[in-house]
Amino acid sequence: MKRQLAVILMMGALLASAPASEGQSELKPFRRGSWQELRHAHAGRPTIVAFWGVTCGPCKVELPMLGAFMRDQAGVDVVTISADLVPDLPEATRLMLQRAGLGSAENWIFDDGFVERLRFEIDPAWQGDIPRTMLIAGDGSITAIEGSADMDELTKWVKEQLATSKLAH
Amino acid sequence: MIAHRGKKKGEPVMMYRRSVLVLVIALALCRGSAWAQMSHNHASEAACETTELRCATKVTPAFGPDGRLWLAWMAGGHVLVARSGDDGQGFTEPVQVTRDKLNLDWGPDARPKIAVDRNGQIALAFSIFRDNAFNGEVLVSHSSDGGKSFAEPRPITPNNESQRFEALALDADGTVFAAWLDKRNRVPARENGRKYDGAGLFFAVSKDGGTTYGEARLIKDNTCECCRLAIALDGQGHPVIMFRDIFDGSIRDHATVTFSDLKTPGEIHRVSHDEWQIAACPHQGPSLSIAANGTYHVAWYTNGRVRKGLFYASSRDGGKTFSDPLPIGQADHGPSRPFVLAGSDGVTMVWKEFDGEKTVVNLMSSHDDGRSWSKPRTIASTTDASDHPLLISDGRKTYLSWMTKADGFRFQPIEGDS
Repeated sequence: MKRQLAVILMMGALLASAPASEGQSELKPFRRGSWQELRHAHAGRPTIVAFWGVTCGPCKVELPMLGAFMRDQAGVDVVTISADLVPDLPEATRLMLQRAGLGSAENWIFDDGFVERLRFEIDPAWQGDIPRTMLIAGDGSITAIEGSADMDELTKWVKEQLATSKLAH
Repeated sequence: MIAHRGKKKGEPVMMYRRSVLVLVIALALCRGSAWAQMSHNHASEAACETTELRCATKVTPAFGPDGRLWLAWMAGGHVLVARSGDDGQGFTEPVQVTRDKLNLDWGPDARPKIAVDRNGQIALAFSIFRDNAFNGEVLVSHSSDGGKSFAEPRPITPNNESQRFEALALDADGTVFAAWLDKRNRVPARENGRKYDGAGLFFAVSKDGGTTYGEARLIKDNTCECCRLAIALDGQGHPVIMFRDIFDGSIRDHATVTFSDLKTPGEIHRVSHDEWQIAACPHQGPSLSIAANGTYHVAWYTNGRVRKGLFYASSRDGGKTFSDPLPIGQADHGPSRPFVLAGSDGVTMVWKEFDGEKTVVNLMSSHDDGRSWSKPRTIASTTDASDHPLLISDGRKTYLSWMTKADGFRFQPIEGDS
């Protein structure tokens, strides 16, 4: 019994640690509590969280710009969250992220049909409009940008964050 | 603490600060197993994946001329129709309209549309995503045998650019007026090197109960491409459409257009100056109802610079001017999805609010043509995903129609002095 349990645990560990197949980005299921998990994982680091969706026209325009931004800005964590609740969405989501150069970003996808509750945890004032970008500073303060983000504005924010970080050290 | 910015660079639109005192360490999601768990019912807005009413995500009611209730719903990738003889307590065996499982438009503002004319002919319309780029297509169907069978769904227009957010209105003589959002004009714009924002607002008319539709005609280019339309007929049978327009500076505020006949759209009038400057998909369309005395009653959501939240207004001059917007609901409970209905017993409005755990449907009513309103009261609640709350009247009584994942389909009369 103990050996069976050990084998099961080993297989589970292997599955859990296996990287997403080459060329495919991992999509984390975003559920109740995921926002707090995400905040905790990035605590103390400037983080840009982009909410988007495959059916959102302005998102399709913004996504490649965010991909280029991530490539150029190594000092900031870039997270995307697909906030469309769509059946059979993961493949389309992965494809769009890869094409936009965001395959290696930390990518999440809404995975709870009760979207009001997910959005409420993130920001009670958010009614689901996308794209939406949240800038989480090193001190934990958050600035929400409605609509397509201006990449120059994001770059300026990152520089400010990095400068603040250097001063603190 | 969250500071909100509009699209304009660095302009703080609204600010409030909330201290994040505790960061909860949630269970770590292991990569493989977490993914394997996805796509089960908890991830869906539906309670189940088959085609029964209890599995539906969107349910649309309509009363027939004999006072019997009809429902059209989306479930399991199909559109189905059923009839009730007892005000929504029981339904006939549903008739499947779609032949094959389709990639139905699942957007928050999408739903099947149904209209039943005085001869019992049924017109249907709904949208699908027709390709991997999520371009939409509006399909129509009809029944000429009292809902026993439906024609195979076909496109409302031969143009194959993206279309979504169809709306139907049925005239007393059986004419079906359809409007939808259509991106066909972005192609010539781009070929000429011009930018094309949003989508065109188009319409077409069916004189045979929704069997065939005439030529698609443009009402206005460059309207917001991702919000539902609200449609109603005025006392003369003229179509009136409320939609989220795109004004100069990428302002996505609401407007109305009133037709002078079935073919001629009138001037477009702005409902309010909310100044919601946003290059995004709000996914929140308006609601419109026209009273027997001609008053337009409208409700909408905005997150503009001037005002934020849900609002109501009325027009007593045929949609040319509107009253000052009246805020609706508790701002800290995210009021959304308004539906207003002018009936024989006054004007009724419902909307959703969420308190962090449960969604409620709140209601208020007016017995003086929208000049004053009762105190809001909660008439329904649920603790999981839900459709928009809808109101419908059979000419005698007003009902709430609300599909919920946890509690199924609800069809309840609005009781008491609301």
